[in-house]
Amino acid sequence: MSTGAKTTGSIAWRTIGFIVLVSLAVSFVVPFAWQTILSLSSNADTELVSKTGLPPAVHPENYSLMLRMIPFGKYFFNSLFVAGWITIIQVISSAMAAYAFSRMEWPGRDKVFLLYLATMMIPDVVLMVPRFAVVLGLDMYNNYAGLILPVAFSAFGTFLLRQFMLTIPKSLDEAAAIDGASHWQVFSRVILPLARPGIIVLAIFTFLFQYNSFFWPLILIKDTNLRTLPIGLLEFDTSYGQDTPKIMAASLLAMIPAALLFLALQKYLVKGIQLGAVKG
Amino acid sequence: MKKRRTFWIAMLFLLPNLLGFLIFTAGPVVFSLWMSLTDWALTKHNAYSGASAQFIGLENYRRLLFGDESQLFWEYFGNTLFLMIGIPIGIAGSLALALLLNQNIGPKRARSKAGAVGVTLLVTILAVGATWLVTTPGLEPAAGAANYAAMTADSGLGNLAVWEVQKLRSGAAVTAIAVLGLIVAAGLAIGPVFFRTVFYLPSMLAGVAIFLLWKALYKPQGGLINSTLEPALGVIQNTVTSTPAALWYALGLLLWASGVVLCLWMFARGTLGLTRRDISGLSYTGLVLVVISLGAMMLGLGYLFCQLPPRSLLPSGLDILTGEQLSAIGQSLTGAFPAAGEEIRLAVLTLGDQIRPATAIEAFTTIVGDRSAVAEVVMPMTTVLHEGLTSGDGLMPPQWLIDIRWAKPALIIMGVWTAVGGGNMLLYLAGLSNIPTELYEAADIDGAGGWQRFAHVTWPQLAPTTFFIVIMSTIGGLQGGFDQARVMTEGKAGTTVLSYYLYNIAFDDQFQLGLASAIAWVMFGMIFIMTLFNYRFGSRATNL
Repeated sequence: MSTGAKTTGSIAWRTIGFIVLVSLAVSFVVPFAWQTILSLSSNADTELVSKTGLPPAVHPENYSLMLRMIPFGKYFFNSLFVAGWITIIQVISSAMAAYAFSRMEWPGRDKVFLLYLATMMIPDVVLMVPRFAVVLGLDMYNNYAGLILPVAFSAFGTFLLRQFMLTIPKSLDEAAAIDGASHWQVFSRVILPLARPGIIVLAIFTFLFQYNSFFWPLILIKDTNLRTLPIGLLEFDTSYGQDTPKIMAASLLAMIPAALLFLALQKYLVKGIQLGAVKG
Repeated sequence: MKKRRTFWIAMLFLLPNLLGFLIFTAGPVVFSLWMSLTDWALTKHNAYSGASAQFIGLENYRRLLFGDESQLFWEYFGNTLFLMIGIPIGIAGSLALALLLNQNIGPKRARSKAGAVGVTLLVTILAVGATWLVTTPGLEPAAGAANYAAMTADSGLGNLAVWEVQKLRSGAAVTAIAVLGLIVAAGLAIGPVFFRTVFYLPSMLAGVAIFLLWKALYKPQGGLINSTLEPALGVIQNTVTSTPAALWYALGLLLWASGVVLCLWMFARGTLGLTRRDISGLSYTGLVLVVISLGAMMLGLGYLFCQLPPRSLLPSGLDILTGEQLSAIGQSLTGAFPAAGEEIRLAVLTLGDQIRPATAIEAFTTIVGDRSAVAEVVMPMTTVLHEGLTSGDGLMPPQWLIDIRWAKPALIIMGVWTAVGGGNMLLYLAGLSNIPTELYEAADIDGAGGWQRFAHVTWPQLAPTTFFIVIMSTIGGLQGGFDQARVMTEGKAGTTVLSYYLYNIAFDDQFQLGLASAIAWVMFGMIFIMTLFNYRFGSRATNL
């Protein structure tokens, strides 16, 4: 990383900057800390906690009670299952398409790619209604296929991976082709391993976005067994009224996989965004 | 022949993506256009009724824009625009965070870093121990002692004894100290990566879980925000009532007058300044924005301060302007903003190549061009404060999500909190690391100060990033807002946005797919126009 924009700065500046960063960090941590405290108090104590800071008695059993009150495990599985499959399909299909757009010469290639790009400009809301109608027609309403397939193919993924693959030197696949490798072999043995940072970025983005997805599952699923976590949390919020501790416990648990995934892979994420950043 | 072969192999590679793309994206787009021209409603036209949808031409669009749905449509459009006020604030915040993270901050050398971490941890442990030892012993009286069962006067504290409340509070203080110590230590040890991660977490987790968390934070009674505000408002109340009324009135007049001067100055520069070629469009519109926000704040605050003291307490000579008169003048001045803005925009358009700031102009149009936004935020707040201070009840914290005056600001605050450390901040960090060092060296040789380095090197170099962020945020802002409204307010208190409207029409109970498609296409038209607008100004600056 270049240090161009940095100023060395006096001790006073360094200290002030550090204090500002710490106070900002506090404002980001406090809500989560308060959420944890609430999730451990009894429902009757929630108003009291806001005045005392800590509950008079700790109730870790909120978590186990919550797990029994809603099929949390089921929703959790649905979310992971749906987001996982979307990620797999998206990464594979985008990588293959990106290969065709970046490593192969064929007539009309750039025109087709432009068409792909153009559809990225169409807002999702335009697609919601007709997608719903298509899904009804294909008999995918209220099942896993309807949750997964319509959102699994994206121009964005193709675009992102194409940009990555363009940075890989052409001589590599030419050498492989001279050795008699087919396109599929070049793709799977040469390009895919080299495009790994880009693929990881796409996978993180897709998974986290789909894990938090709300609108599409909300309109598509009527069956309780198929509900994903975001919809499940909402049901919990209304049907059990104002049982704040259990709502907080549920949403805290729901955040854990996303947070873990992000913490584990964040160095790739930043690197990937830098590679994919827009340049003038 | 090889070419043809390659073509078919390429098609095989494309097939999975292309197939899905045609069925679920390209097909629906065409289908949607046709739907928007029909009266298709699932309740009337389905497999059971056997009736098929009728082609009705542009009737859906007429209903939306001018007909029986138009009132709702424009109201929700207004809500959407209002909530988009958060976008420029969030972008500016992301930039500020990125700049801050990009500085060398904290101790310089590795050894002093390790030392600082050690000292921090030690101090934390000592502070935790000391707080606990000083505050808790002796709190718990012997059972049966006179004060053992003394209840707190605060009814909100249930049936806790005074000492129990004290004990919980020192426990909370100890926890807070420990958390703060850990944050400082981690910040010293890991540095920018730690802060970046903390700032990024909310936007990574953004979704129903975060909305539920903020719903709890915003609870009027027992929410963290209001229980923090309550004591603060009490202090304000006491200060106000114990200060001589004339002082407030004088302060109010002064503030108010400065606000007027600022606005007039801005207006003068707006008409005169742009003829000077040396003012770059960017720093100019930035200036206009800052000045207008300052001016509006001063007008509002000045009005508020003048209203604070009861009239009867004022020395007779001072009561020259009544609050109503001040308010009327303030309103007519706010009314002058759009006029000034219009003039500036025209000047900007004619200046053409001088212009970089798609962003600033848009922010300007969103915040100020829609004058009701200023009026709607400032005026009700002053009224609320005034009522609270002059009536007997005292200052009350807002009802947030259930109050039509506060629900939108509440959502904006949450949105900024969530988004400020998110993808935009990462994009800016990436952009900052791509700026060539030589430019700063050249600036240093020219003797540029910190602000000049920013205005002449950093900001122009970041223009492509800003351009990208503004376009994406505008698109996101116009079609977003559904998830939070549905989870937190169910669209009540003026938080229904266009996407929520579409949801209600299409999926909630009416299943009017034709009308809903028309809404989507009108939204698309708006997004398209805004993107074109951004692009027209932005592309000049960024050479994209």
